Amino acid sequence: MNMMQVMQSVVWAVLLWPCLVSLGVPLECKDEQGSIILCASISKEKLLDRVIQHAELIYRVSEESCTLFEEMFVPFPMRSQRNQAGYTCATKAFPIPGSKSEIQQISDKWLLHSVLILVQSWIEPLVYLQTTLDRYDDAPDTLLKKTKWVSEKLLSLEQGVVVLIRKMLDDDMLTTSYYEQGVAPYALQPEVLESVLRDYTLLSCFKKDAHKMETFLKLLKCRQTDKYSCFLH
Amino acid sequence: MMWRDVGVTLILSLILPVVAQGARHTPPGKPKLTSCRSPDKETFTCWWEAGSDGGRPTTYSLFYHKENSETVYECPDYHTAGANSCFFSKNETSIWVNYNITVVATNALGNNFSDPVDVDVVYIVQPHTPENVTVGVLEDEDGPFLRVSWEPPSKADTRSGWITLIYELRVKLEEAEEWEEHRAGQQKMFNIFSLHSGGVYMVQVRCKPDHGFWSEWSTASYVIVPDYIPRERSMWILIAVFSAFIFLILTWIITLNRSSVKHCLLPPVPGPKIKGFDQQLLKKGKPEEVFNSLVVQSFPPRSTDYEDLLVEYLEVYVNEKQELMPEGKDLQDVGCLKSKSQSDNDSGRGSCDSHTLLMEKCGGVESKDESSYEEPELLQGQAGSWERLERGDSQVVDTPDSSDGRVKTWPLVFSPSIHGSSDNHHYGTLEMPKQHSTSEITYSVPDHLFPTSTSFPHHHHPEYRDSLGEYSEYRCSRSPSTGVAYHWEARHPTQAHSNFNIRNLERQKEATGLGLPPSRSMEYVEVQKVNQENQLVLKPLSSHGRGPFQRQREMAEAGQYCNYREKEGAEAERYPTQQQGKTTKDGPVATQLQESTCLTTSGYVDTAPTMPTF
Repeated sequence: MNMMQVMQSVVWAVLLWPCLVSLGVPLECKDEQGSIILCASISKEKLLDRVIQHAELIYRVSEESCTLFEEMFVPFPMRSQRNQAGYTCATKAFPIPGSKSEIQQISDKWLLHSVLILVQSWIEPLVYLQTTLDRYDDAPDTLLKKTKWVSEKLLSLEQGVVVLIRKMLDDDMLTTSYYEQGVAPYALQPEVLESVLRDYTLLSCFKKDAHKMETFLKLLKCRQTDKYSCFLH
Repeated sequence: MMWRDVGVTLILSLILPVVAQGARHTPPGKPKLTSCRSPDKETFTCWWEAGSDGGRPTTYSLFYHKENSETVYECPDYHTAGANSCFFSKNETSIWVNYNITVVATNALGNNFSDPVDVDVVYIVQPHTPENVTVGVLEDEDGPFLRVSWEPPSKADTRSGWITLIYELRVKLEEAEEWEEHRAGQQKMFNIFSLHSGGVYMVQVRCKPDHGFWSEWSTASYVIVPDYIPRERSMWILIAVFSAFIFLILTWIITLNRSSVKHCLLPPVPGPKIKGFDQQLLKKGKPEEVFNSLVVQSFPPRSTDYEDLLVEYLEVYVNEKQELMPEGKDLQDVGCLKSKSQSDNDSGRGSCDSHTLLMEKCGGVESKDESSYEEPELLQGQAGSWERLERGDSQVVDTPDSSDGRVKTWPLVFSPSIHGSSDNHHYGTLEMPKQHSTSEITYSVPDHLFPTSTSFPHHHHPEYRDSLGEYSEYRCSRSPSTGVAYHWEARHPTQAHSNFNIRNLERQKEATGLGLPPSRSMEYVEVQKVNQENQLVLKPLSSHGRGPFQRQREMAEAGQYCNYREKEGAEAERYPTQQQGKTTKDGPVATQLQESTCLTTSGYVDTAPTMPTF
């Protein structure tokens, strides 16, 4: 009996070992205050850099996808006519700054929130776009892969921005992924011109918004490093 | 009348063009927006081209409205960017918003709208060329290289991250035709390696935002690369010179030592060397002289010259038994010719030196030094029941000219008798090779010679005599150890022959103690070799199951070289030793052999290396 009890306690100790460790060691370190420097988390600057890289990459891939789609499915005369037949990009509930001067007047907080809203508004439409593209007969594999990749990366971008907000603004109140009302999915047949144009509009709007995210983040970074020189121009 | 018609025609012809001219005034043609560009993503400019004029002065105006609003604005600035252009300032420019732009041409007669164009400022960015392009030549351990550096166009705000520019540069030699392009990414500096020394290079740089158009190439910058020797080439030159030098030296050395090199690489094939053989004489074509020199005075051995000959036969004393063998005398004729009598180390002694095989060896008969061996016959017998063995001369010895079949039959012949066959009589016959008579050497040992038919150690002392009456006596004596050793006496035949293993049977009937005291113990010995003093080195045979008749192969296997002692005198009976120079006329002890005291496994006495001398 004694052996059994000893064995049980050992097993329990082994199982609960991670809990013990995690209780003992804080995950977040505060270097400035000189406390325990057991940093399991990443610094703000590095995080911002990574988020910017993410946004850049998303933009680049979305641009490639848009070009691919345009070449495959959109008839030539209709290219670059993005708001054809009323398919405009959905307006956001949140006012997004539209020019550099506007952006320069905006605060960091709003900048980050704008980015977050943008990201979150595109999560669902991209999923929808994936399903639509799958129904196309001769959609190239690369296009499908890229859109899939983008929708995955968008999720991780959202998480990164949430963390960034928490770190930079000490704002813990955010929840992730509240969905903006995006373009309503129409059950039209694929490859009909309407659906093609709709998808095309979706892609180009996303491309634009991806560029917005990238720019906002870069401006934010500039402000972090050298606040005054960013405004002078 | 006619004048009036002419006048009307004139007037009409004058008026009509005027009227017609007035009729060419139409509403203006359709203008067209050619391009819109933004240098910095903060402002942009649109250009259009006019359609047909319509004959009247036409004015152009540009209207736009933004993506989601219907408010139409007119172009704020028509002049900054030149004719037929519209410049949008920062305040009017919104990013990520589509502008729907239309140009209207208006004249007195009407107006005309161009096709609307959607413009998003982000996608029409085309920056200015990079500025301050500088090119310098820097030194490195591998050679000089170009370092190109530049700055972004002043209008583009890359510092705040508003625009991200990537750069590209191209290089070429001044006289070359094609440019070499390099992507520099977002960096503002680039190195170019592997230059032609002394060349003049041209460098140009341009840039592009990550979502727009390439700028124009900057103006070319020229740079001159100083002369230098590429290190790689100089190293190869050095290596080449060095190798050439070494090659020359080697060639010189080889040339000096031509002959020894040739000797080393192509070793000369040893030719036959016969002592006393003069090639020159042969070339002269006088064979008699040539061969005369080969003639050895002492050859063929005379009957008195016993020392030179090896008597190789076994004499078997046969009890009124058949004289099996014809009288063959000329053992000496047969056999291999060997110049062994001359103590020449070079010539083919090897094969005779080995103490194997009767068949293969060429017994050197003539001199003491010759290695010849005698096949010992295993003969066992009791006194009085000896059989005569005759041997063919050439049997034992290999050789080329040996007559057929002689020696070869020996083992076969002897084996049955050794193994204690049930026959009481073991017959072995020695055939004296008379000239080319076939020698079938068989001998048999009468059964009563064997105390027990199966056991080998016999105390018999076989004595062999050939049919010719010349015989060699072979005594078998038993060494104190197990096994039966044979020793034998060899006698010279009256006629000298050479190169027989068993040869030169000599008859000495009178001298033979044909009957050896039967009480002598006998053993089988094997002649291991002939040592330097022309003494036969014997070793006793240990195996009981193997008779001397198997010796031919077994001799080869017997590796053991036993101690030999030479005994003389009283022990000669048991351990006869071979004495040199001793005549065979003496009693039974004809030859004295050195006998080994240790046992071997081989089966016969091999008298290979030495000649018994008498």
